[in-house]
Amino acid sequence: MAGESGCQVPESQTKGKLNLDRLKEIVKKYIDKLSAFTVQKSSYSSKTNPKLPNDDICEARQFLVQHHYESALFWADKIVSLSGGAVEDIYWYAQTLYHTGQYHRAATLLCSRKLDRHYAACRFLAAKCHFECKEWQEALNILDMAEVSLTKPSFLQSSINQLSMDADDSLPIRGIESSISLLRGRIYEAMDNRGLAADCFRRALQQDVYCFEAFDLLVSHHMMSAQEEQDLLKTLPLVAQCPEDEMELVRFLYQNRLKKYDKPGTHSIPQSLSPLLENVDVVVNLAERRYYNCEFQKCHKITSGVLSKDPYNSRCLPLHVAVLVELKKPNALFYLGHKLVDFYPNKPVSWFAVGCYYLLTKNFEPARRYLSKATTLEKTFGPAWLAYGHSFAADNEHDQAMAAYFTASQIMKGCHLPVLYIGLEYGLTSNAKLAERFFTLAQSIAPDDPFVLHEMGVIAFQNHEWVEAERYFKEALSRIQSVGYQHMPEKWEALLNNLGHVSRKLKKYEEALEYHRQAELLCPQNPSTYSAIAYIHALTGNNSLAVDFFHKALGLRRDDAFSTTMLGHVIEALMSEVPPIVGDDDSDSLNTSASVVLPPFRPLSFSQADTDDSSLAAHPGDNSSMMAIEEVEMDG
Amino acid sequence: MADISSWDLTKVKEDLIDAYRECSMRRLLNGAKWAAELSSALEITVDPQILMKKACNEEYFLDFDKVSLAATYFDLKEYDRAAHVVRDLKNPLAYFLHMYAEFLAEETQRLDNASDSIGQANYDNTKLRNMKTELSSRHRELDGFGLYIYGVVLKRLDLTKMAVEVLVEAVTKQPLHWGAWQELATLITDREMLVSLALPNHWVRQLFLAHVYLELQLHEEALEIYQTFINTGFHKSSYLVAQVATAYHNMRDVEQAVDAFEELEKMDPFRLENMDIYSNLLYVKEMRAELAHLAHRCCDINKYRVETCCVIGNYYSLRSQHEKAILYFQRALRLNPHYLSAWTLMGHEYMEMKNTSAAIQAYRQAIEVNKRDYRAWYGLGQTYEILKMPFYSLYYYRQAHLLKPNDSRMVVALGECYEKLERLQEAKKCFRKAHNIGDVEGGALYKLAKLYEKLSESEQAASAYTEYIMETERRGVLSHEEISQAYQYLANYHWSRKQLDEAYAAAQKCAEFTETREDAKVILQQIQSLRSQGESSMPARFDDSMGSLTSSDHIRPGEPRTFDGVTPVSLKFTP
Repeated sequence: MAGESGCQVPESQTKGKLNLDRLKEIVKKYIDKLSAFTVQKSSYSSKTNPKLPNDDICEARQFLVQHHYESALFWADKIVSLSGGAVEDIYWYAQTLYHTGQYHRAATLLCSRKLDRHYAACRFLAAKCHFECKEWQEALNILDMAEVSLTKPSFLQSSINQLSMDADDSLPIRGIESSISLLRGRIYEAMDNRGLAADCFRRALQQDVYCFEAFDLLVSHHMMSAQEEQDLLKTLPLVAQCPEDEMELVRFLYQNRLKKYDKPGTHSIPQSLSPLLENVDVVVNLAERRYYNCEFQKCHKITSGVLSKDPYNSRCLPLHVAVLVELKKPNALFYLGHKLVDFYPNKPVSWFAVGCYYLLTKNFEPARRYLSKATTLEKTFGPAWLAYGHSFAADNEHDQAMAAYFTASQIMKGCHLPVLYIGLEYGLTSNAKLAERFFTLAQSIAPDDPFVLHEMGVIAFQNHEWVEAERYFKEALSRIQSVGYQHMPEKWEALLNNLGHVSRKLKKYEEALEYHRQAELLCPQNPSTYSAIAYIHALTGNNSLAVDFFHKALGLRRDDAFSTTMLGHVIEALMSEVPPIVGDDDSDSLNTSASVVLPPFRPLSFSQADTDDSSLAAHPGDNSSMMAIEEVEMDG
Repeated sequence: MADISSWDLTKVKEDLIDAYRECSMRRLLNGAKWAAELSSALEITVDPQILMKKACNEEYFLDFDKVSLAATYFDLKEYDRAAHVVRDLKNPLAYFLHMYAEFLAEETQRLDNASDSIGQANYDNTKLRNMKTELSSRHRELDGFGLYIYGVVLKRLDLTKMAVEVLVEAVTKQPLHWGAWQELATLITDREMLVSLALPNHWVRQLFLAHVYLELQLHEEALEIYQTFINTGFHKSSYLVAQVATAYHNMRDVEQAVDAFEELEKMDPFRLENMDIYSNLLYVKEMRAELAHLAHRCCDINKYRVETCCVIGNYYSLRSQHEKAILYFQRALRLNPHYLSAWTLMGHEYMEMKNTSAAIQAYRQAIEVNKRDYRAWYGLGQTYEILKMPFYSLYYYRQAHLLKPNDSRMVVALGECYEKLERLQEAKKCFRKAHNIGDVEGGALYKLAKLYEKLSESEQAASAYTEYIMETERRGVLSHEEISQAYQYLANYHWSRKQLDEAYAAAQKCAEFTETREDAKVILQQIQSLRSQGESSMPARFDDSMGSLTSSDHIRPGEPRTFDGVTPVSLKFTP
C-alpha cells in the first residue's frame, strides 16, 4: 500500500503539473462565480484593463452564480493537499468554506497558518467570516492586528512584496483596502459606532470610487447631511481613479442617488447618458424625487411601472409602500404586504409594508408590532423607525412617539426628519420652546426643507410673532415655487392657508384672501379654508359674504364650534345693518335701525379671534404632521 | 333679443342633427335626447348629402376599435372598464370618453356608498381633485366637450368661478351641447352675472337665456322667448311646452299651467320630466283625484324615476301620510342626490313631522344644489323660527325675499321676525310693503294694525283695521279670529272717541263671533245706556252658528305663528 501510494505520488505530481492547473481553473471558476461580494471588490482592478472596455458588465457576468459550492470545496481541499499548502490555494479553499457557510472553519484555517497576518486578502476573508458570525470584536481584532503589524517596517516590506506577488498569482488584492475599510465600517456600524463607521465608509469610497456599497450605505443609512453628501461627492478622487468618459457616469449615478427629502427639487439626466433613462435605478430615483416633491400620483405611476417589470425591486419597494400610504390605498398595500411576507420574511421591508397597512387602517397595535419587527430585523431601517413613531403619534401617545423618533434620530444622523417630528410632538404637547429647539436643529441639518420652515412658521405663529411667521412661510413658499411645478401639490394647501392666517393677523386682508383662494383652488371643499375666508370677510365688514362662507364651512363640517359662533354673530350683525326690504320705500323709514339695536360687533369678533387662532394654527400644525408622516416613510 | 325667425331653419335643423350625433357619440345622453327632441319637433327636411358629409369625418375613425369598445362598456354602465379601455389615447373623442366614464364611475360609486341618512357624509373628493389636476394640465387642448367635463368637475368641487369660466369656454367651442348650457345655467346667480358673460351668438343661446330667466324668476322674458320658438315651428316640441308650463306654474298662474301640462300630457303621454312640478300644482289646488291619477300613471311608466317619486311623495303628503311621503322623497334622492325639488319637499315633510334638524339638513342640501331655491331659504327661516333663532330666520327669510322680491309671504315673515326682535319700525315697513305688493294671504294689514296698536298709534291702527276689514269683505272672510279682533278694536276705538254709530256697528259685528261676543255685549250695553233716552234698544243678534266656524282654525299645535296662513304645507306647492 505504502509502495503503491509512494509511487503514486510522483506520478500524480508529474501529472499534477498539468492537472493541477486544470483543477485550479475549475475551482477558481467555481469560486469566482460565487463570490458575489469579495471578489467583485477586488476585481475592480480589471477596470484598468484595456481589453475590457465595458468592465462593469463583464464583471457582472463573470460572477454569475452557479452555486456549486460543494464541488468547489471538494476540489479546493484536494488542491491544497496536492500543492502542499500554497497560500493561494489555501485562500481559495477558505473561500469555498466561506461560501458553504463554514465560517469558523474558514477563519481557523486562515488564522492557524497566520495567513491573515501577511496577506490582506486572507485577513479580509478571515474578518469577514467572523463578521458573518456576528463576532464583531474578533473580526475587528483581526483587522486591527494587521494594521498594527503593517506599521512595522519589516513586515510592511514583506507584505508589500507578498502583495505584489499575490497580485501576480491572481490572489485578489487590488482594491482590497477599500474592501477592508468597508468591512470595518460595517463592523463599526453593527457595534453601534456610527461615527467611525461613516469614516470607514468614506475612506472605502476614497480608496475605490467604484465601491458603490460604501456609498449606498452612507446614503441609505442617512449617515451624512445633504451638505456632507455633496462635499463627499466633490472630493471623490474621480480623476485619479476612473477614465475620462466614466467620470461623468459615476458622478451622475451617485448624484442621482443622493438624498432628496431635504428639499424639493428637479430631476434631470444629462444628454450623453440618455440610455440610462430606462434604467430601473434611475427611474426609481426619479420616482423618489417625485415623492419628495409631493407629486404622489406621478410617483405611484412610476413605482407601479417599475414593480410590474421587477416585482421585488428592493429599492423601489419602500418607496412604493410609502406612496400607497400617501394615496391611501389599503387594499393594494394589504396584498403587497402579504406577498412580501411570504417571499421575504427576513427582510425588514416586508414587515414594514405590513406595519404600514395597519397604520393606514388605523390599527395601531398591530402596526407597532410589525414595525418593531421590521426594526429588529434591521436596526438601521429608518423608515420603519419613523413609521413606528407615527403609530404612536397618530394615537396621541406623544411620549412614546418621541422616544421612537429619538432612536430614529440616533440611527439616522444625517436625516432631519426624526428631529422635525420630535419638534412636532413637542409642539403638539404645547412645549413651544423645545419644539423650536428641535426645529432649529432640523434646520441645521436640512436648511432648505420647506417642511421645516413651515413648522418654524407655525411655532412663530403660536408665539404671536406674526412677522417672523410670515417670513418663514414665505420662505417655504419660495422654496416650493422654485421647483417650478405645473401644479403645486395639494400638500401645500396648509402652507397657503397659514400664509392667509398670518396675513390676516398682519391686517393684510386682501393678501390673506388671495392666499386662501389659492389654497381653495389647490384643495377645494375644505371647511377650514372656507371658515378662514369667512372670517376675513367678517373682519373687513363684508358680512353677507362672511355668512355665505360660514355656511359653506358648516355645511362640510357641522360640528365646527368656531364657525357656529361666528355665524351667529355675523348674521346678527348683518341683519342689523341691512334694510329690511329690498327695493323701494326706504324713504319713509325712520332709519335708526342698524347700529342702535345691537352691541357693536367688531370687538366681539376679536375676542373670538384669539380662541380661533390657536385652533386654526394648531390645525395646520397637525396637518403637516400628518403630511410628514407619509413623507418620511421611504428613505429606506 | 335676436329674432329666431330670421334664422335659417334648415341650418337649425342641421345643427340639431349634428348635435344629436356628436352627443350620442360621446354618450351624452341627455344632450342627445334634447337635440333629437327639438329636431323631431322641427318639421323640415334637410339634404341628406350635407348630413352625410358632416357625419363622415375622420375623427370618428381614430382609434375606432377602442372607442367603440369603450362605448359599449359605457352603455352597459361599466364605467371603470370603459375608462380603462381608452386610457392613454390622445384623440379628443377617446379622451372625453375616458374622462366622462371616470367621472360617472366616481359618481355612481359615491351614490352606492352613500348612507341612507340624508345629508352627505364628508366624502372623499380625491378622485375629483385628481381629475381636476389632470384636466387643468390639458386645459388648452380640450375641445368643447372636454371643457364641459372640466367645468362639471370644477362645479362639483365648488370652484364656482372657474367653473363658470370653463363652461362659457365650453359653450363657445361647442354651442350645440345643451348639457354644458344647463350646467352653466345652474351657476348663474343673478341677472347682472348673466349679462356679464361673454356667450356665443348662437341660436341655442336664446333657449339658454329663456332657461336662465325661468330660474331667475323672470318669467315674462322667458315666456317671450319660448313663444317665439313655438311660433317659428317648434310648436310640437314637448320640451318647449313643458318649459312654458313651468313658467306659468312659477308665475302662480295655475289655470294656464294646468292647461299647459294637460296639453303636454296629450302630446307626450309617457313623459315624466316636469311631472313633479305638475304634481305640485295639483297639490296646491288640492285636486286630489287628478293627483292620484297622475301618481298612478307615473308609477306605471317608471317607478324608479326621480319625478315619479316626487309625484308619489306629494300624493302621500296631500293625504297627510308624511312618513310615506318622506320615504318617496328619500328614494328620489337616492336616485339623484342633486335633484333639487326632492330636497325641498323633503324639508317640508320633516317640518310637518316636527323634525327640525332633519328639515334643516334637507333645506341646506337643497340650497347646496341650487342657491336660488327660495322655498328652501324660506323653509330654513321657518325652522329657525321654531328653534327660536330669530337672526338666523331673519337672514334666511331675507335671502328668500331677495330671490323673490314680489312675494308678500316672505315680507310678512320678515316683518314677524322683526316684530319678535322688537324692531317694530322695520316690522312696520315690512308689513306695509307686503300689503303694497299684493298680499297673497291677506294677513299683512292685520299685522300692521296690530303693530300700530302695540305702538299705541291708534289712528293708524284704526285706519289699518278699517282697511283690513274692507279688504276681507272684498276677498271673503279669511280668518274669523282676526276679523273679530279687528272689529273689537274698532269698536273700542270708536267707543273711546264717542263715535257711537261706528262703535255700535263694529260692536255688532263683534258680537257675531264667539271669542269677542262677551266684550261686544259690554260695549253694546254701554252704547245703549248712553243712548238710553228714547231709543229703542236693539238687542244684539247673536249668530250662534258662527261658533263652529271660528273654533275650527286649522293651525297646527307646534306652529309658531298663531294666525298666519303660511304653513309649510301651503308653501310647498307654490312655485
